[in-house]
Amino acid sequence: MEKFKCLFSIGIFGALGGICRYLIGLQLDYRGDLLVNLLGCFLLGFLTYFWLNFREIANWLSLGLGTGFVGSFTTFSSFCLDNLKLLLAGQNLALLLYLLISIAGGWIAALIGIKAGTEIGRRFSQSGEEDD
Amino acid sequence: MLLMMIGLGAALGSIGRYLITIRLKKVSGWPLATLLINLSGAFALGLLFGLNLLPDVYKILGIGFFGGYTTFSTFNVELLALHHSQARRLELFYGLTSYLGGLLLVTLGFWSSKMF
Repeated sequence: MEKFKCLFSIGIFGALGGICRYLIGLQLDYRGDLLVNLLGCFLLGFLTYFWLNFREIANWLSLGLGTGFVGSFTTFSSFCLDNLKLLLAGQNLALLLYLLISIAGGWIAALIGIKAGTEIGRRFSQSGEEDD
Repeated sequence: MLLMMIGLGAALGSIGRYLITIRLKKVSGWPLATLLINLSGAFALGLLFGLNLLPDVYKILGIGFFGGYTTFSTFNVELLALHHSQARRLELFYGLTSYLGGLLLVTLGFWSSKMF
């Protein structure tokens, strides 16, 4: 039953993440993939380390938000295809920029998310202890 | 309606990614699951893109399913986890195989579609 709850949560949140990515992509094309990927790296780093340092949340909810929503919101396959499309279109400068910003930006966005999540999670748990 | 179908695709892709990840986590100490998911997804999307499917079918399968199946955020957070646990060589290996492998496989997938 617990496993079913987790799968269901991942499915519902994953659907929302995919729909959001699609809607943003309609407006921004491959720049949309870049935006969702960088935003998602920050968000996943933040969420994972926030809960790790703050308190336990229900497994189904953390899986739904992290693995489901953010995991589905970001995409590796479209990132790869965007590069191929830019290559085929001969847009070499855009290709180079897209690659560099994705690779360096994804890593840095995740790092900032992890640092912020850790810090804010600790503050939250400390202020919780003072209240007790 | 199309939006719902893209959502359904992304839901199934996410569930598939989760099931593969928990299965492989038991046998592997590093993010092998995400690597295999991202590489197989890159190949599949390259193939789908080259097949000239109906636009809505491509959106449901390519953007929905394979977009939800593969993930950029988990990949990067895993890179940083390796970084923080001082597994720098593994981090570099994981990053390089993902990026070089992904770009190679999406091209191979696209190229294979031209054989149909």
